[in-house]
Amino acid sequence: MNEGHSRALFPDMTSGRWSLAVLVVLALAAFPLVESNQYILSVFVTTMILLVMNMSWNFILGVAGVWNFGQLAVYALGGYGAGILMLHTGLPPVLDVVVGGLIGAAVSVLMAVPTLRLFGIYTSLLTFAFAEIVQYLILNDGSGLTGGSYGFPSVKGLYSFLSPVASMHAYYWTLLGVIVASTVAIALVTRSRLGIALRAIRDAPAFAAARGVSPLRYRILAFGLSGFLAGIAGALYLCFEQSIDPSIMGLTPMSLDVTMLVIGGLGTIFGPAIGTTIVTVVETVLVNHPGVQLTVVGIFLLVIVVFVPGGIVGLVGKVRARLSAWAEEGEEEAEEPEATEGVAPAGGTAGALDPIAIHDTTGAPTDVAP
Amino acid sequence: MTDLVGILVTTVILGSIYGLVAIGMTLIYGTLRILDMSQGSMVMIGSFVGWGILVSAHWNPVLAIVFAFAATFVLGMMTQLVSVQPLMGRRKAIDFEMVTFITTFAVAMILENVALEVFGPQQRNVTPVVSGGVNVYHGVNLPYQSIAMAAISILLMGGLGLFLGKTRWGMAIRAVAQDLDAARLMGVPVSKLYPVTMGLASSLAGVAGVFLGAQFFAYPQAGDLPLLEALIVVVFGGLGSLPGTVYAAYVIGLIQATTEVFLGTTWSLPILYGVILFVLIFRPQGLLGKPSEARL
Repeated sequence: MNEGHSRALFPDMTSGRWSLAVLVVLALAAFPLVESNQYILSVFVTTMILLVMNMSWNFILGVAGVWNFGQLAVYALGGYGAGILMLHTGLPPVLDVVVGGLIGAAVSVLMAVPTLRLFGIYTSLLTFAFAEIVQYLILNDGSGLTGGSYGFPSVKGLYSFLSPVASMHAYYWTLLGVIVASTVAIALVTRSRLGIALRAIRDAPAFAAARGVSPLRYRILAFGLSGFLAGIAGALYLCFEQSIDPSIMGLTPMSLDVTMLVIGGLGTIFGPAIGTTIVTVVETVLVNHPGVQLTVVGIFLLVIVVFVPGGIVGLVGKVRARLSAWAEEGEEEAEEPEATEGVAPAGGTAGALDPIAIHDTTGAPTDVAP
Repeated sequence: MTDLVGILVTTVILGSIYGLVAIGMTLIYGTLRILDMSQGSMVMIGSFVGWGILVSAHWNPVLAIVFAFAATFVLGMMTQLVSVQPLMGRRKAIDFEMVTFITTFAVAMILENVALEVFGPQQRNVTPVVSGGVNVYHGVNLPYQSIAMAAISILLMGGLGLFLGKTRWGMAIRAVAQDLDAARLMGVPVSKLYPVTMGLASSLAGVAGVFLGAQFFAYPQAGDLPLLEALIVVVFGGLGSLPGTVYAAYVIGLIQATTEVFLGTTWSLPILYGVILFVLIFRPQGLLGKPSEARL
């Protein structure tokens, strides 16, 4: 990859870190060749599907700062849409997945329109209400189109022509490819005019609007993009599980996903991957103690939000900044604040959880409760 | 006619119990500007306290209510100290509502799963606070339990109104809701007031839990449905408006009672959510809420 271009895309990435990232991807790609345990591989694949979904949510929640809590409905509808096509038409399965993504984008834009008048907590209530309605409609669907609460009738999936072991590998590599591609795509979009506009609207809506950045246009675009990725994730879920049911929506899956995003670092590029991995490890280790499992996840969430506002990505960035500032202290003391800024993490705008300069000036020191 | 009487009776009962849970959320939103997602867990804790005292210990029902009130008051105060107080420094940040939404949600998750670990997933019967019933109209039977539920809810809501209107602490809470900085300058001990507000709101949900536990069951997820219903009520009434919440509770109760009679219980929540979508699209500030400036 072109060094100059890559540095513009990820200003934080040195060639050493690039090689580390490539190594990690290569190691992950080689993993199924050495691991023959199908259960472990399937855990990896489902985690990666969830990661695609979390990346799409991170884009709308962290980068665009729209508190959309209906993403799981978009995810599910993408899956159901692809499933209905797969069952009733002879389209190639890959096309079904793409159409699933398009359905996700369409649903997401549909959901975006009423939220344009709203802000903050009201957006989350409206989108959550939307998701609940979708779940109830599917649960109580008697028409046989979605299978209702019993789940969708079995579909073939993407790789029905392969043996079970080979198809597991195929799904694994497909998902890895989708993740790498969407990471690059999201990074590109985040650095583009669209991404800058979204962050401006997130951090200072009035200023952004006054500068001619249309919240309407950019929010709808953000919803569409994020919905497309969520729809793809839903369709891939359907293909891999060969079915889908309404239990992938609702309060519990949503709280897990939010935890993953917040732990990793909202609005960052690598936050979703880190958060999804950590929560999945906790879940897998404590799989026999459902109560303890979610208690631990809840405590994680609480501690991270209260003590580590930027998530783990933000924490790493801060520690690194502190260290390099400390190292440079002796050399050039006057330049310290600039030096700290230079090493801030890549996507590490640390999402909506970061205190913002503009708002700091309005907050008088008396606000800090004793 | 039987339908009509049935609907009216159900409206009063549902509205009172929704009001009790929702009014706590409104109180918290009005004073602290946070949407407290742990209120549902307080209902669940109240149900378990009710189960423990009425079924395990066979004590007086009044004690169940008193204990539920006390336990959830303490828990609510602790929730505030753990999940909200450390964040008060970021109160003016644009995302404060969302951050506290997430932390209180985390508390709800912890409480629910600790209950799951301690009590197990099974549903437990809670004996009604009072047994028996009265036939109000042909075929419309009204259990005393429901009457007690409605009466105590209305009493508590009235009591809260008196508390806020007449007492020193109540007036301090209202002062903080109106203007935090001015209240602080007048010597209101804000950092003590916040936990008390949240404890008070939680204890209302806890008392509701004792009754709801008898109506349904006591189990770890018992708080989810009341939480969703309370959310609908507070949005409908306008976040932060106490009278709006009380009206909205009865309107929502009426809508639900009507839906249940004519369409069946499975439709009541989707229809309520439809109503909420409609309200948020056309009148985002709710029935009596004031339009807030933090909106496009």
